[in-house]
Amino acid sequence: MNREEILEKVTAAFSNILEHNNFQLKDETTADDVDGWESITHMMIISEIEKTFSIKFKLMDLMNMNSVGDLLNTIESELLIN
Amino acid sequence: MKFLKNIQKSIENNAEHNVLCIGNIYYTYNDFENEIKKIRLAIVNIVDSSEKLIGLVTNDDIYTYASIIALWIEGKAYVPVNPDTPLDRNHHIFESTKTKYVIDSSKESVYSNYEVINSSGLQKQHSNLSPKDFSGSENDIAYILFTSGTTGTPKGVPITFNNVQALVNAIDAEPEFNLNNKDRCLQMFELTFDFSVVTYLFPLLAGSCMYTIPKGTIKYFYIFKLIKEKALTVLTMVPSIINYLRPYFPEINETSVRYCSFGGGALYSDIAKEWSDCLPNCKIFNYYGPTEFTVYSGFYPYNKDTHTKAHNGIIAIGTPQKDTLYLVVNENNEEVAIGETGELCLGGPQITPGYWKNEERNKLSFFVRAENGKNIRYYKTGDLCLKDEEGDFLYVGRSDFQVKIRGYRVELSEIEFHAKTKSKKKVNIVALDIYNNLGNAELGLAIESEAFDTKEIFEYMKSKMPSYMVPMHVRFIKEFPHSINGKIDRKELKKYFNIN
Repeated sequence: MNREEILEKVTAAFSNILEHNNFQLKDETTADDVDGWESITHMMIISEIEKTFSIKFKLMDLMNMNSVGDLLNTIESELLIN
Repeated sequence: MKFLKNIQKSIENNAEHNVLCIGNIYYTYNDFENEIKKIRLAIVNIVDSSEKLIGLVTNDDIYTYASIIALWIEGKAYVPVNPDTPLDRNHHIFESTKTKYVIDSSKESVYSNYEVINSSGLQKQHSNLSPKDFSGSENDIAYILFTSGTTGTPKGVPITFNNVQALVNAIDAEPEFNLNNKDRCLQMFELTFDFSVVTYLFPLLAGSCMYTIPKGTIKYFYIFKLIKEKALTVLTMVPSIINYLRPYFPEINETSVRYCSFGGGALYSDIAKEWSDCLPNCKIFNYYGPTEFTVYSGFYPYNKDTHTKAHNGIIAIGTPQKDTLYLVVNENNEEVAIGETGELCLGGPQITPGYWKNEERNKLSFFVRAENGKNIRYYKTGDLCLKDEEGDFLYVGRSDFQVKIRGYRVELSEIEFHAKTKSKKKVNIVALDIYNNLGNAELGLAIESEAFDTKEIFEYMKSKMPSYMVPMHVRFIKEFPHSINGKIDRKELKKYFNIN
Protein backbone atom coordinates (compact mmCIF):
# COMPACT_ATOMS: atom_id res chain seq x y z
CA MET A 1 0.00 0.00 0.00
CA ASN A 2 1.50 3.35 -0.97
CA ARG A 3 1.22 6.52 1.04
CA GLU A 4 -1.56 7.91 -1.14
CA GLU A 5 -3.69 4.83 -0.64
CA ILE A 6 -3.07 5.01 3.10
CA LEU A 7 -4.06 8.68 3.16
CA GLU A 8 -7.27 7.87 1.32
CA LYS A 9 -8.27 5.27 3.91
CA VAL A 10 -7.24 7.55 6.78
CA THR A 11 -9.37 10.35 5.31
CA ALA A 12 -12.31 7.97 5.16
CA ALA A 13 -11.79 7.03 8.83
CA PHE A 14 -11.73 10.71 9.83
CA SER A 15 -14.93 11.58 7.96
CA ASN A 16 -16.60 8.47 9.30
CA ILE A 17 -15.95 9.46 12.92
CA LEU A 18 -16.24 13.23 12.58
CA GLU A 19 -19.31 12.88 10.33
CA HIS A 20 -18.15 15.57 7.93
CA ASN A 21 -15.52 15.96 5.24
CA ASN A 22 -14.72 19.65 5.41
CA PHE A 23 -11.01 18.98 5.67
CA GLN A 24 -8.02 18.13 3.54
CA LEU A 25 -5.49 15.98 5.38
CA LYS A 26 -1.85 16.76 4.67
CA ASP A 27 1.36 15.77 6.45
CA GLU A 28 1.39 19.00 8.46
CA THR A 29 -2.32 18.90 9.46
CA THR A 30 -2.92 18.87 13.23
CA ALA A 31 -6.00 18.68 15.49
CA ASP A 32 -6.24 22.48 15.38
CA ASP A 33 -6.96 22.40 11.63
CA VAL A 34 -9.88 19.98 11.65
CA ASP A 35 -13.30 20.67 13.12
CA GLY A 36 -14.22 18.23 15.88
CA TRP A 37 -10.82 16.55 16.07
CA GLU A 38 -10.12 16.59 19.82
CA SER A 39 -9.23 14.21 22.67
CA ILE A 40 -12.24 11.91 22.58
CA THR A 41 -12.75 11.79 18.79
CA HIS A 42 -9.02 11.18 18.42
CA MET A 43 -9.36 7.99 20.48
CA MET A 44 -12.19 6.89 18.17
CA ILE A 45 -10.28 7.74 15.00
CA ILE A 46 -7.28 5.76 16.24
CA SER A 47 -9.41 2.71 16.91
CA GLU A 48 -11.14 3.08 13.51
CA ILE A 49 -7.75 3.20 11.75
CA GLU A 50 -6.53 0.17 13.68
CA LYS A 51 -9.54 -1.75 12.38
CA THR A 52 -9.19 -0.48 8.79
CA PHE A 53 -5.56 -1.55 8.49
CA SER A 54 -5.69 -4.50 10.93
CA ILE A 55 -2.86 -3.02 12.96
CA LYS A 56 -2.37 -2.17 16.64
CA PHE A 57 -0.60 1.07 17.51
CA LYS A 58 1.87 1.25 20.32
CA LEU A 59 1.29 3.73 23.13
CA MET A 60 4.80 5.13 22.63
CA ASP A 61 3.95 5.97 19.00
CA LEU A 62 0.55 7.41 19.88
CA MET A 63 1.96 9.75 22.51
CA ASN A 64 4.35 11.34 20.01
CA MET A 65 1.83 11.63 17.20
CA ASN A 66 1.35 15.34 16.60
CA SER A 67 0.29 15.54 12.97
CA VAL A 68 -1.25 13.57 10.13
CA GLY A 69 2.30 13.03 8.81
CA ASP A 70 3.27 11.29 12.08
CA LEU A 71 0.13 9.17 11.81
CA LEU A 72 0.89 8.10 8.23
CA ASN A 73 4.51 7.28 9.11
CA THR A 74 3.37 5.09 12.00
CA ILE A 75 0.82 3.26 9.82
CA GLU A 76 3.50 2.70 7.16
CA SER A 77 5.93 1.21 9.64
CA GLU A 78 3.22 -0.95 11.25
CA LEU A 79 2.23 -2.29 7.82
CA LEU A 80 5.89 -3.11 7.11
CA ILE A 81 6.17 -5.14 10.31
CA ASN A 82 3.08 -7.10 9.35
CA MET B 1 -5.40 31.98 57.99
CA LYS B 2 -2.82 29.34 58.67
CA PHE B 3 -2.93 27.73 55.21
CA LEU B 4 -2.24 31.07 53.52
CA LYS B 5 0.78 31.70 55.77
CA ASN B 6 1.99 28.21 54.90
CA ILE B 7 1.59 28.90 51.18
CA GLN B 8 3.66 32.04 51.65
CA LYS B 9 6.38 30.08 53.51
CA SER B 10 6.38 27.35 50.88
CA ILE B 11 6.75 29.86 48.04
CA GLU B 12 9.60 31.68 49.80
CA ASN B 13 11.42 28.51 50.90
CA ASN B 14 11.27 26.88 47.48
CA ALA B 15 12.29 29.88 45.35
CA GLU B 16 14.63 27.85 43.12
CA HIS B 17 12.25 24.90 42.72
CA ASN B 18 9.81 24.61 39.83
CA VAL B 19 6.17 25.33 40.55
CA LEU B 20 4.61 24.78 37.13
CA CYS B 21 5.36 23.07 33.86
CA ILE B 22 2.99 24.33 31.16
CA GLY B 23 3.53 23.11 27.60
CA ASN B 24 7.12 22.09 28.47
CA ILE B 25 8.00 25.54 29.86
CA TYR B 26 9.04 25.56 33.51
CA TYR B 27 8.33 28.33 36.03
CA THR B 28 10.02 28.57 39.43
CA TYR B 29 8.46 29.49 42.76
CA ASN B 30 10.47 32.70 42.44
CA ASP B 31 8.71 33.49 39.13
CA PHE B 32 5.43 32.62 40.81
CA GLU B 33 6.13 34.97 43.73
CA ASN B 34 6.84 37.83 41.34
CA GLU B 35 3.59 37.32 39.44
CA ILE B 36 1.57 37.10 42.68
CA LYS B 37 3.09 40.36 43.91
CA LYS B 38 2.28 42.14 40.63
CA ILE B 39 -1.32 40.96 40.65
CA ARG B 40 -1.64 41.77 44.36
CA LEU B 41 -0.55 45.36 43.76
CA ALA B 42 -3.06 45.69 40.91
CA ILE B 43 -5.83 44.35 43.17
CA VAL B 44 -4.90 46.79 45.95
CA ASN B 45 -4.75 49.74 43.53
CA ILE B 46 -7.76 48.97 41.32
CA VAL B 47 -10.33 46.88 43.20
CA ASP B 48 -12.63 48.65 45.62
CA SER B 49 -11.94 47.22 49.08
CA SER B 50 -15.60 46.28 49.59
CA GLU B 51 -15.58 44.11 46.44
CA LYS B 52 -14.98 40.50 47.46
CA LEU B 53 -16.07 38.29 44.55
CA ILE B 54 -13.62 38.73 41.69
CA GLY B 55 -13.99 37.07 38.31
CA LEU B 56 -11.11 34.95 37.03
CA VAL B 57 -10.76 33.75 33.44
CA THR B 58 -9.13 30.33 33.73
CA ASN B 59 -6.39 30.34 31.12
CA ASP B 60 -3.70 27.68 31.36
CA ASP B 61 -0.87 29.98 32.47
CA ILE B 62 1.13 31.10 35.51
CA TYR B 63 -0.86 34.36 35.80
CA THR B 64 -4.10 32.50 36.45
CA TYR B 65 -2.64 30.40 39.26
CA ALA B 66 -0.89 33.49 40.69
CA SER B 67 -4.22 35.35 40.62
CA ILE B 68 -5.84 32.82 42.95
CA ILE B 69 -3.11 33.30 45.57
CA ALA B 70 -3.05 37.09 45.11
CA LEU B 71 -6.81 37.26 45.67
CA TRP B 72 -6.63 34.98 48.69
CA ILE B 73 -3.89 36.89 50.50
CA GLU B 74 -6.03 40.00 49.95
CA GLY B 75 -9.00 38.15 51.51
CA LYS B 76 -10.96 37.98 48.25
CA ALA B 77 -12.69 35.14 46.43
CA TYR B 78 -12.18 33.95 42.87
CA VAL B 79 -15.18 33.27 40.68
CA PRO B 80 -13.69 31.19 37.86
CA VAL B 81 -15.08 31.12 34.33
CA ASN B 82 -13.81 28.88 31.56
CA PRO B 83 -12.82 30.81 28.40
CA ASP B 84 -14.25 27.97 26.27
CA THR B 85 -17.68 28.09 27.91
CA PRO B 86 -20.32 30.14 26.07
CA LEU B 87 -19.90 33.79 27.07
CA ASP B 88 -23.58 34.01 27.87
CA ARG B 89 -23.29 31.41 30.63
CA ASN B 90 -20.22 33.17 32.07
CA HIS B 91 -22.05 36.50 32.07
CA HIS B 92 -24.88 34.80 33.92
CA ILE B 93 -22.40 33.66 36.60
CA PHE B 94 -20.92 37.16 37.05
CA GLU B 95 -24.40 38.66 37.18
CA SER B 96 -25.46 36.31 39.93
CA THR B 97 -22.33 37.09 42.02
CA LYS B 98 -22.59 40.81 41.16
CA THR B 99 -18.97 40.68 40.09
CA LYS B 100 -17.56 44.00 38.88
CA TYR B 101 -13.87 43.13 38.44
CA VAL B 102 -12.42 40.38 36.27
CA ILE B 103 -8.83 39.18 36.20
CA ASP B 104 -8.01 38.01 32.68
CA SER B 105 -4.58 37.12 31.28
CA SER B 106 -5.91 36.94 27.69
CA LYS B 107 -4.30 39.35 25.21
CA GLU B 108 -7.70 40.77 24.43
CA SER B 109 -10.42 40.34 27.01
CA VAL B 110 -14.03 39.74 25.99
CA TYR B 111 -15.20 41.04 29.39
CA SER B 112 -15.32 44.71 28.44
CA ASN B 113 -18.51 45.22 30.46
CA TYR B 114 -16.44 44.70 33.60
CA GLU B 115 -13.35 46.37 35.00
CA VAL B 116 -10.64 44.04 33.66
CA ILE B 117 -7.23 43.52 35.25
CA ASN B 118 -4.91 42.17 32.57
CA SER B 119 -2.72 39.93 34.72
CA SER B 120 -0.18 39.17 31.96
CA GLY B 121 0.82 42.78 31.34
CA LEU B 122 1.68 44.05 34.83
CA GLN B 123 5.03 45.59 35.81
CA LYS B 124 5.13 46.88 39.39
CA GLN B 125 5.15 44.57 42.38
CA HIS B 126 3.61 44.67 45.81
CA SER B 127 6.29 44.59 48.52
CA ASN B 128 5.35 41.22 50.04
CA LEU B 129 3.29 38.02 50.13
CA SER B 130 2.03 38.27 53.71
CA PRO B 131 -1.67 37.44 53.93
CA LYS B 132 -3.83 40.25 55.24
CA ASP B 133 -5.19 40.00 58.78
CA PHE B 134 -8.11 37.60 58.64
CA SER B 135 -9.48 37.99 62.15
CA GLY B 136 -13.24 38.32 61.92
CA SER B 137 -13.38 37.40 58.23
CA GLU B 138 -12.53 33.70 58.36
CA ASN B 139 -15.96 32.91 56.97
CA ASP B 140 -15.49 35.11 53.92
CA ILE B 141 -15.71 33.29 50.63
CA ALA B 142 -12.51 31.85 49.05
CA TYR B 143 -14.14 30.67 45.81
CA ILE B 144 -17.54 30.09 44.24
CA LEU B 145 -17.95 27.30 41.72
CA PHE B 146 -21.01 26.83 39.55
CA THR B 147 -22.32 23.37 38.82
CA SER B 148 -25.13 22.47 36.47
CA GLY B 149 -28.46 22.67 38.21
CA THR B 150 -31.48 20.45 37.75
CA THR B 151 -33.51 23.39 36.51
CA GLY B 152 -31.00 24.39 33.84
CA THR B 153 -29.53 27.43 35.60
CA PRO B 154 -26.14 26.76 37.21
CA LYS B 155 -26.04 26.42 40.99
CA GLY B 156 -23.36 28.44 42.81
CA VAL B 157 -21.45 26.72 45.60
CA PRO B 158 -19.53 29.17 47.82
CA ILE B 159 -16.60 27.80 49.83
CA THR B 160 -15.15 29.87 52.68
CA PHE B 161 -11.55 30.33 53.87
CA ASN B 162 -12.46 28.30 56.96
CA ASN B 163 -13.78 25.51 54.70
CA VAL B 164 -10.46 25.41 52.82
CA GLN B 165 -8.50 25.47 56.11
CA ALA B 166 -10.54 22.49 57.33
CA LEU B 167 -9.72 20.58 54.11
CA VAL B 168 -6.01 21.30 54.60
CA ASN B 169 -6.19 20.22 58.27
CA ALA B 170 -7.85 16.94 57.29
CA ILE B 171 -5.28 16.09 54.60
CA ASP B 172 -2.40 17.10 56.91
CA ALA B 173 -3.76 14.68 59.52
CA GLU B 174 -3.56 11.81 57.03
CA PRO B 175 -0.25 9.98 57.56
CA GLU B 176 -0.52 8.00 54.30
CA PHE B 177 -0.42 11.05 52.05
CA ASN B 178 2.53 13.45 52.26
CA LEU B 179 3.75 15.55 49.35
CA ASN B 180 7.24 17.07 49.32
CA ASN B 181 9.21 19.53 47.20
CA LYS B 182 10.60 16.74 45.00
CA ASP B 183 7.14 15.64 43.86
CA ARG B 184 5.95 16.12 40.29
CA CYS B 185 2.16 16.27 40.23
CA LEU B 186 -0.41 15.98 37.46
CA GLN B 187 -2.81 18.94 37.30
CA MET B 188 -5.26 17.88 34.59
CA PHE B 189 -8.31 19.82 35.76
CA GLU B 190 -9.91 22.94 34.48
CA LEU B 191 -9.97 25.51 37.32
CA THR B 192 -13.78 25.76 37.23
CA PHE B 193 -13.93 22.10 38.34
CA ASP B 194 -13.67 21.71 42.12
CA PHE B 195 -11.26 18.78 41.91
CA SER B 196 -8.65 21.33 40.72
CA VAL B 197 -8.50 22.85 44.22
CA VAL B 198 -6.63 19.83 45.58
CA THR B 199 -4.41 19.53 42.49
CA TYR B 200 -3.00 23.06 42.90
CA LEU B 201 -3.38 23.66 46.66
CA PHE B 202 -1.49 20.60 47.96
CA PRO B 203 1.44 20.90 45.53
CA LEU B 204 1.77 24.61 46.41
CA LEU B 205 1.79 23.87 50.15
CA ALA B 206 4.50 21.25 49.68
CA GLY B 207 6.70 23.10 47.16
CA SER B 208 5.97 20.47 44.47
CA CYS B 209 5.78 21.07 40.72
CA MET B 210 2.48 20.86 38.81
CA TYR B 211 2.22 19.67 35.20
CA THR B 212 -0.78 20.95 33.25
CA ILE B 213 -2.43 19.70 30.06
CA PRO B 214 -2.19 22.35 27.31
CA LYS B 215 -5.21 23.02 25.15
CA GLY B 216 -5.28 21.25 21.79
CA THR B 217 -3.38 18.19 22.98
CA ILE B 218 -4.89 14.71 23.05
CA LYS B 219 -5.51 14.60 26.80
CA TYR B 220 -5.19 10.84 27.35
CA PHE B 221 -1.90 10.44 25.54
CA TYR B 222 -0.50 13.70 26.88
CA ILE B 223 -1.09 12.50 30.45
CA PHE B 224 0.75 9.30 29.69
CA LYS B 225 3.58 11.25 28.01
CA LEU B 226 3.92 13.40 31.14
CA ILE B 227 3.96 10.37 33.44
CA LYS B 228 6.59 8.74 31.27
CA GLU B 229 8.85 11.61 30.24
CA LYS B 230 8.59 13.78 33.36
CA ALA B 231 8.48 10.78 35.71
CA LEU B 232 5.44 12.14 37.55
CA THR B 233 5.12 10.99 41.14
CA VAL B 234 1.58 12.06 42.03
CA LEU B 235 -1.54 11.57 39.90
CA THR B 236 -5.02 12.88 40.65
CA MET B 237 -7.62 11.92 38.09
CA VAL B 238 -11.19 11.00 37.24
CA PRO B 239 -11.73 7.30 36.44
CA SER B 240 -12.69 8.02 32.80
CA ILE B 241 -9.02 8.72 32.02
CA ILE B 242 -7.98 5.16 32.69
CA ASN B 243 -10.99 3.82 30.80
CA TYR B 244 -9.52 5.37 27.65
CA LEU B 245 -5.99 4.20 28.39
CA ARG B 246 -7.15 0.68 29.15
CA PRO B 247 -6.36 -0.85 25.72
CA TYR B 248 -2.73 0.17 26.30
CA PHE B 249 -2.31 -1.02 29.91
CA PRO B 250 0.01 -3.90 28.87
CA GLU B 251 2.51 -1.25 27.70
CA ILE B 252 2.33 0.83 30.87
CA ASN B 253 4.73 0.18 33.73
CA GLU B 254 5.54 3.44 35.49
CA THR B 255 7.66 3.04 38.59
CA SER B 256 7.94 6.77 39.40
CA VAL B 257 4.31 7.18 40.51
CA ARG B 258 3.87 6.92 44.29
CA TYR B 259 0.33 8.25 44.76
CA CYS B 260 -2.69 8.00 42.49
CA SER B 261 -5.93 9.56 43.75
CA PHE B 262 -9.27 9.04 42.06
CA GLY B 263 -12.44 11.02 42.53
CA GLY B 264 -15.43 12.48 40.72
CA GLY B 265 -16.94 9.16 39.74
CA ALA B 266 -17.27 5.50 40.55
CA LEU B 267 -14.04 3.52 40.43
CA TYR B 268 -14.58 -0.09 39.36
CA SER B 269 -12.68 -3.01 40.90
CA ASP B 270 -11.60 -4.70 37.69
CA ILE B 271 -10.01 -1.63 36.10
CA ALA B 272 -8.53 -0.49 39.43
CA LYS B 273 -6.66 -3.77 39.72
CA GLU B 274 -5.36 -3.59 36.15
CA TRP B 275 -4.30 0.05 36.64
CA SER B 276 -2.60 -0.84 39.90
CA ASP B 277 -0.52 -3.39 37.95
CA CYS B 278 0.67 -0.51 35.71
CA LEU B 279 1.96 1.46 38.74
CA PRO B 280 3.96 -1.02 40.84
CA ASN B 281 5.15 1.50 43.47
CA CYS B 282 1.92 3.39 43.89
CA LYS B 283 -0.62 3.83 46.67
CA ILE B 284 -4.13 4.25 45.28
CA PHE B 285 -6.69 6.42 47.07
CA ASN B 286 -10.34 6.29 46.15
CA TYR B 287 -11.55 9.71 47.27
CA TYR B 288 -15.11 10.76 47.80
CA GLY B 289 -16.53 14.23 48.21
CA PRO B 290 -18.93 16.70 46.61
CA THR B 291 -18.21 20.33 45.66
CA GLU B 292 -20.53 21.34 48.54
CA PHE B 293 -18.11 19.82 51.04
CA THR B 294 -14.83 21.36 49.79
CA VAL B 295 -13.62 18.67 47.38
CA TYR B 296 -12.78 15.68 49.59
CA SER B 297 -14.61 14.26 52.59
CA GLY B 298 -12.83 10.91 52.89
CA PHE B 299 -11.21 8.03 51.03
CA TYR B 300 -10.68 4.29 50.81
CA PRO B 301 -7.04 3.14 50.56
CA TYR B 302 -7.36 0.68 47.66
CA ASN B 303 -4.77 -2.07 47.45
CA LYS B 304 -5.17 -4.87 44.91
CA ASP B 305 -3.94 -7.44 47.45
CA THR B 306 -5.17 -6.23 50.82
CA HIS B 307 -7.91 -3.58 50.35
CA THR B 308 -10.41 -4.50 47.65
CA LYS B 309 -13.71 -3.83 49.36
CA ALA B 310 -16.42 -3.14 46.80
CA HIS B 311 -20.17 -3.13 46.28
CA ASN B 312 -21.59 -4.14 42.88
CA GLY B 313 -18.06 -3.84 41.54
CA ILE B 314 -17.60 -0.25 42.76
CA ILE B 315 -14.66 0.32 45.13
CA ALA B 316 -15.65 1.42 48.66
CA ILE B 317 -15.40 5.09 49.61
CA GLY B 318 -13.97 4.17 53.02
CA THR B 319 -14.18 6.39 56.05
CA PRO B 320 -14.66 10.12 56.67
CA GLN B 321 -11.53 12.21 57.18
CA LYS B 322 -10.64 14.28 60.26
CA ASP B 323 -13.51 16.40 61.68
CA THR B 324 -15.99 15.07 59.07
CA LEU B 325 -19.13 13.15 60.03
CA TYR B 326 -20.90 10.68 57.75
CA LEU B 327 -24.54 9.87 58.37
CA VAL B 328 -26.70 7.51 56.30
CA VAL B 329 -30.37 8.48 56.48
CA ASN B 330 -33.82 7.50 55.26
CA GLU B 331 -36.39 9.81 53.64
CA ASN B 332 -37.10 11.41 57.04
CA ASN B 333 -33.43 12.22 57.67
CA GLU B 334 -33.27 9.52 60.34
CA GLU B 335 -30.17 7.36 60.63
CA VAL B 336 -30.55 3.84 59.18
CA ALA B 337 -29.02 0.65 60.60
CA ILE B 338 -25.61 -0.73 59.63
CA GLY B 339 -25.81 -2.56 56.29
CA GLU B 340 -28.90 -0.64 55.19
CA THR B 341 -28.83 1.65 52.19
CA GLY B 342 -29.73 5.31 52.61
CA GLU B 343 -28.67 8.77 51.51
CA LEU B 344 -25.20 9.80 52.64
CA CYS B 345 -25.09 13.12 54.52
CA LEU B 346 -21.96 15.04 55.46
CA GLY B 347 -21.38 17.24 58.49
CA GLY B 348 -18.35 19.18 59.71
CA PRO B 349 -16.23 22.27 59.06
CA GLN B 350 -15.89 21.70 55.29
CA ILE B 351 -19.61 22.18 54.62
CA THR B 352 -20.57 25.07 52.33
CA PRO B 353 -22.64 27.87 53.89
CA GLY B 354 -25.29 26.95 51.27
CA TYR B 355 -26.11 27.39 47.58
CA TRP B 356 -25.65 30.93 46.38
CA LYS B 357 -28.92 32.82 46.65
CA ASN B 358 -31.02 29.69 46.45
CA GLU B 359 -33.05 29.35 49.63
CA GLU B 360 -35.43 26.86 48.10
CA ARG B 361 -32.63 24.46 47.20
CA ASN B 362 -30.96 25.00 50.58
CA LYS B 363 -34.11 23.90 52.41
CA LEU B 364 -34.00 20.62 50.49
CA SER B 365 -30.27 19.93 50.68
CA PHE B 366 -29.34 20.80 54.25
CA PHE B 367 -30.75 19.90 57.64
CA VAL B 368 -29.73 20.30 61.27
CA ARG B 369 -29.61 17.39 63.68
CA ALA B 370 -29.05 17.47 67.43
CA GLU B 371 -26.20 15.17 68.47
CA ASN B 372 -24.89 15.01 72.04
CA GLY B 373 -26.40 18.38 72.81
CA LYS B 374 -24.86 19.99 69.74
CA ASN B 375 -26.60 21.05 66.55
CA ILE B 376 -24.83 19.53 63.54
CA ARG B 377 -25.65 20.82 60.08
CA TYR B 378 -25.66 18.14 57.37
CA TYR B 379 -25.52 18.28 53.58
CA LYS B 380 -27.56 15.67 51.71
CA THR B 381 -25.36 14.36 48.90
CA GLY B 382 -27.96 12.51 46.83
CA ASP B 383 -25.58 9.54 46.93
CA LEU B 384 -26.86 6.26 48.26
CA CYS B 385 -24.46 4.46 50.54
CA LEU B 386 -24.32 1.84 53.22
CA LYS B 387 -22.01 1.43 56.17
CA ASP B 388 -20.60 -2.04 56.81
CA GLU B 389 -19.73 -3.76 60.10
CA GLU B 390 -16.13 -2.53 59.90
CA GLY B 391 -17.20 1.10 59.58
CA ASP B 392 -16.40 1.45 55.88
CA PHE B 393 -18.86 3.23 53.65
CA LEU B 394 -19.82 1.65 50.35
CA TYR B 395 -21.20 3.54 47.41
CA VAL B 396 -24.45 2.11 46.08
CA GLY B 397 -25.55 4.68 43.49
CA ARG B 398 -27.13 8.07 43.01
CA SER B 399 -30.47 8.48 44.68
CA ASP B 400 -31.75 9.83 41.38
CA PHE B 401 -30.45 6.73 39.58
CA GLN B 402 -32.67 4.65 41.74
CA VAL B 403 -35.79 4.20 39.67
CA LYS B 404 -39.13 2.58 40.08
CA ILE B 405 -40.04 -0.03 37.48
CA ARG B 406 -43.57 -1.30 37.76
CA GLY B 407 -43.47 -0.33 41.42
CA TYR B 408 -40.20 -2.06 42.19
CA ARG B 409 -37.20 -0.07 43.32
CA VAL B 410 -34.33 -0.64 40.91
CA GLU B 411 -30.69 0.37 41.30
CA LEU B 412 -29.28 1.17 37.87
CA SER B 413 -25.70 0.48 38.99
CA GLU B 414 -26.63 -3.07 39.79
CA ILE B 415 -27.84 -3.69 36.24
CA GLU B 416 -24.63 -2.16 34.89
CA PHE B 417 -22.58 -4.35 37.16
CA HIS B 418 -24.17 -7.56 35.91
CA ALA B 419 -24.07 -6.51 32.27
CA LYS B 420 -20.38 -5.62 32.56
CA THR B 421 -19.51 -8.82 34.36
CA LYS B 422 -20.61 -10.90 31.38
CA SER B 423 -19.49 -8.59 28.60
CA LYS B 424 -16.41 -9.93 26.81
CA LYS B 425 -15.75 -6.47 25.43
CA LYS B 426 -14.51 -4.15 28.17
CA VAL B 427 -16.58 -1.14 27.22
CA ASN B 428 -18.72 1.39 29.04
CA ILE B 429 -22.23 0.14 29.72
CA VAL B 430 -24.84 2.41 31.25
CA ALA B 431 -28.35 1.54 32.37
CA LEU B 432 -30.94 4.27 31.99
CA ASP B 433 -34.56 4.83 32.87
CA ILE B 434 -36.50 5.88 29.79
CA TYR B 435 -40.08 6.96 29.78
CA ASN B 436 -42.56 5.52 27.30
CA ASN B 437 -45.56 7.42 25.99
CA LEU B 438 -47.58 6.19 28.96
CA GLY B 439 -45.19 7.93 31.30
CA ASN B 440 -43.78 4.68 32.67
CA ALA B 441 -40.11 4.11 33.17
CA GLU B 442 -38.52 1.36 31.13
CA LEU B 443 -34.96 0.25 31.31
CA GLY B 444 -32.48 0.86 28.54
CA LEU B 445 -28.93 -0.32 28.20
CA ALA B 446 -26.47 1.92 26.38
CA ILE B 447 -23.26 0.24 25.24
CA GLU B 448 -20.29 2.25 24.07
CA SER B 449 -19.27 0.11 21.13
CA GLU B 450 -20.03 -1.05 17.61
CA ALA B 451 -22.94 -3.47 17.60
CA PHE B 452 -22.27 -7.00 18.87
CA ASP B 453 -24.32 -9.98 19.97
CA THR B 454 -25.64 -9.40 23.49
CA LYS B 455 -27.41 -12.74 23.91
CA GLU B 456 -24.95 -14.02 26.51
CA ILE B 457 -25.07 -10.78 28.52
CA PHE B 458 -28.85 -10.94 28.62
CA GLU B 459 -28.94 -14.62 29.55
CA TYR B 460 -26.60 -13.80 32.41
CA MET B 461 -28.63 -10.81 33.59
CA LYS B 462 -31.79 -12.93 33.55
CA SER B 463 -29.97 -15.43 35.73
CA LYS B 464 -28.93 -12.80 38.26
CA MET B 465 -31.87 -10.42 38.54
CA PRO B 466 -35.65 -10.46 38.60
CA SER B 467 -37.11 -10.02 35.12
CA TYR B 468 -38.25 -6.44 35.79
CA MET B 469 -34.63 -5.45 36.18
CA VAL B 470 -33.54 -6.73 32.77
CA PRO B 471 -33.39 -3.86 30.25
CA MET B 472 -35.84 -3.94 27.35
CA HIS B 473 -33.94 -1.65 25.03
CA VAL B 474 -30.36 -1.74 23.84
CA ARG B 475 -28.49 0.92 21.92
CA PHE B 476 -24.94 0.80 20.68
CA ILE B 477 -23.33 4.21 20.74
CA LYS B 478 -19.84 4.64 19.33
CA GLU B 479 -18.89 7.35 21.77
CA PHE B 480 -20.77 8.31 24.90
CA PRO B 481 -21.47 12.01 25.38
CA HIS B 482 -19.49 13.52 28.27
CA SER B 483 -19.95 16.58 30.41
CA ILE B 484 -17.16 19.15 30.51
CA ASN B 485 -15.68 17.39 33.54
CA GLY B 486 -15.39 14.04 31.83
CA LYS B 487 -18.37 12.36 33.40
CA ILE B 488 -20.78 10.39 31.22
CA ASP B 489 -23.73 12.62 30.35
CA ARG B 490 -26.69 10.36 31.10
CA LYS B 491 -29.28 12.91 30.14
CA GLU B 492 -27.77 13.22 26.67
CA LEU B 493 -27.45 9.43 26.43
CA LYS B 494 -31.17 8.95 26.98
CA LYS B 495 -31.86 10.82 23.74
CA TYR B 496 -30.60 7.80 21.81
CA PHE B 497 -33.58 5.82 23.06
CA ASN B 498 -36.60 6.75 21.03
CA ILE B 499 -38.92 4.05 22.26
CA ASN B 500 -42.28 5.53 21.38
